[in-house]
Amino acid sequence: MIDLVNVSRLYHRGADEIHALERVSLHVPRQRFVALMGPSGSGKSTLLNVLAGLDRPNSGEVTVAGQRLNEMSEDELAAFRAHTVGFVFQFFNLIPVLNAVENVELPLLLTHLSRAERRQRAETALRVVGLADRADHRPRELSGGEQQRVAIARSIVTDAELIVADEPTGDLDAKNAEEILSLLQTLKRDFGKTVVIVTHDPRAEKWVDEVIHLDKGVLLETRPGGAARGGAA
Amino acid sequence: MKYLPLVWRNLGRNPLRSLLTAAAIALAIALVCILRTMPAGMDAILASAAANTRISTHNEAGIVYSMPYAYLAKVRAVPGVVAAISWNWFGGAIDITKGVEFPNFAVDPDGIAEVYADWGLDPKVFEDFRKYRDAALVGHITLEKHRWKVGDVVTLQSTVFPVSLSFRIVGAVPTSTPAFYFQREYLAQALAAAGVTFDTTGMIWSRVDDPDRVGPVMRQIDEMFRNSEAITATETEKSFIGNFFSGLKQLVTIIQIVAALVTLCIVFIAANTASMSIRERVGEIAILKAIGFRKQTIFSTLLAEAGLLALVAGIAGAATAFGLLKALRVFASGAGPQLGPLTAFVVSYTILVQAIFISFFIGILSGWVPALGASRRSVAQTLREVF
Repeated sequence: MIDLVNVSRLYHRGADEIHALERVSLHVPRQRFVALMGPSGSGKSTLLNVLAGLDRPNSGEVTVAGQRLNEMSEDELAAFRAHTVGFVFQFFNLIPVLNAVENVELPLLLTHLSRAERRQRAETALRVVGLADRADHRPRELSGGEQQRVAIARSIVTDAELIVADEPTGDLDAKNAEEILSLLQTLKRDFGKTVVIVTHDPRAEKWVDEVIHLDKGVLLETRPGGAARGGAA
Repeated sequence: MKYLPLVWRNLGRNPLRSLLTAAAIALAIALVCILRTMPAGMDAILASAAANTRISTHNEAGIVYSMPYAYLAKVRAVPGVVAAISWNWFGGAIDITKGVEFPNFAVDPDGIAEVYADWGLDPKVFEDFRKYRDAALVGHITLEKHRWKVGDVVTLQSTVFPVSLSFRIVGAVPTSTPAFYFQREYLAQALAAAGVTFDTTGMIWSRVDDPDRVGPVMRQIDEMFRNSEAITATETEKSFIGNFFSGLKQLVTIIQIVAALVTLCIVFIAANTASMSIRERVGEIAILKAIGFRKQTIFSTLLAEAGLLALVAGIAGAATAFGLLKALRVFASGAGPQLGPLTAFVVSYTILVQAIFISFFIGILSGWVPALGASRRSVAQTLREVF
């Protein structure tokens, strides 16, 4: 599903050069739940952005779902993200003026589906995350956990193969964090999604198949998670 | 169209700000609409004030320079001239310390009924004007202002001639003119008694028998005096009034320039508002881009927000101006001839369409730069900065 070969990403901050990623090579098969972990500034969010088509590496090759991202234009990358990747962010990032079902429906505006079909799919996605009865609620009327579920529904509504999540439990209490991790694992297990998350949360380890550790832009180690060892799965 | 609900919802995000921005645009558009009626309104006023067969002859050097009174007889003899009368500025004041409060002229009583047939006065009034040496015809505005009535006797002291004359008001001129007319002969006798020679005239007003002959008659009159001591310039009444009020036209031009500057200010205000609105949403915009919205789509929806707000505001502003001037016309037409000229200012459908287009253009212009900036911003960089 994901193949990164010698990927490097360099940032300039004033006169300084920051090596966010240094010759990172990585392979993630389909239908895997992977956690990118490491201290702040280790390059895990940059890696997530690169494999999701949000950022371009300075060197190296990125292939996701059989598509070489290096060669894509801005518009092609946008189309790639719209069709192949579902995004979940730490602070939920729902549009406050839209209700839950309208938020979920947003990515479908980029398709040729009719209004009725869009609405039907959005409601189905909300059902998957257990929020069918909250469809008409605005984000401010939902709890943090519920908002994150809406964000997950939005990420799966286009039937994207890859779900990427940046600190999806970072703003949640323990109970909600567990529920979100469980839901992400369900997406992998029952819906065949490949899920890559960036997290500081040690609880995530038991839910994922693989933990990838980075530090200072370098991939230090890859080891099996709890799910691979027959834990939370 | 499928993005319209998103655009509409975003406009409702901060209702007070949207309302205030729309109000500012609407006010500017209403102002533009009203000011755009001025050139056509001025033309209509001139057209209504002027008769199409009445012409004015005056010294080519300007109306403050006189011509020999003998010119009157020559003008009357020109084929096509039905009647002609001389005009002399009297410069009479009720109270010399207050100055001249209304225009007053010494005119010939013979021919005034024909030259000013459009006043619609009772022939008996003109008859009285001819019959009484001290008779005066007074514009009703002046009558009402000084609470005079027909039959009253008023005294004016001239600021031009060394005489003070008393007049008997015999009729009210029903047009919007405030002018005061009296017999030239009355002034001539008073000046003769004071030892002053009076053989000039300031203007000659003539009535031509056919609108199609106005041009040839004007040319013939001026040709007649080409080699005389006072070369003349003859023009239609509309042209004369237009030139007389040329300063007013310049004022209208200045007002229109100010209106354009106000519109420009509104562009900046609207641009600032659009910029603030977009700046507050950089995170959301980054999310939209992350989930696959192309930068063209982001740009279009943001521009549509600014355009839609300005369009709605423009329609409101144009409707306000239309309603306001319509109400003013209804009021002015019922309030008597003093306010009659106000009925000339009409917001035409052309002005309405132009105003709404200008408003939409303001919206697009004000939203362009902020929308372009937001659509071009890097997603990864924004996500790093905002979250």
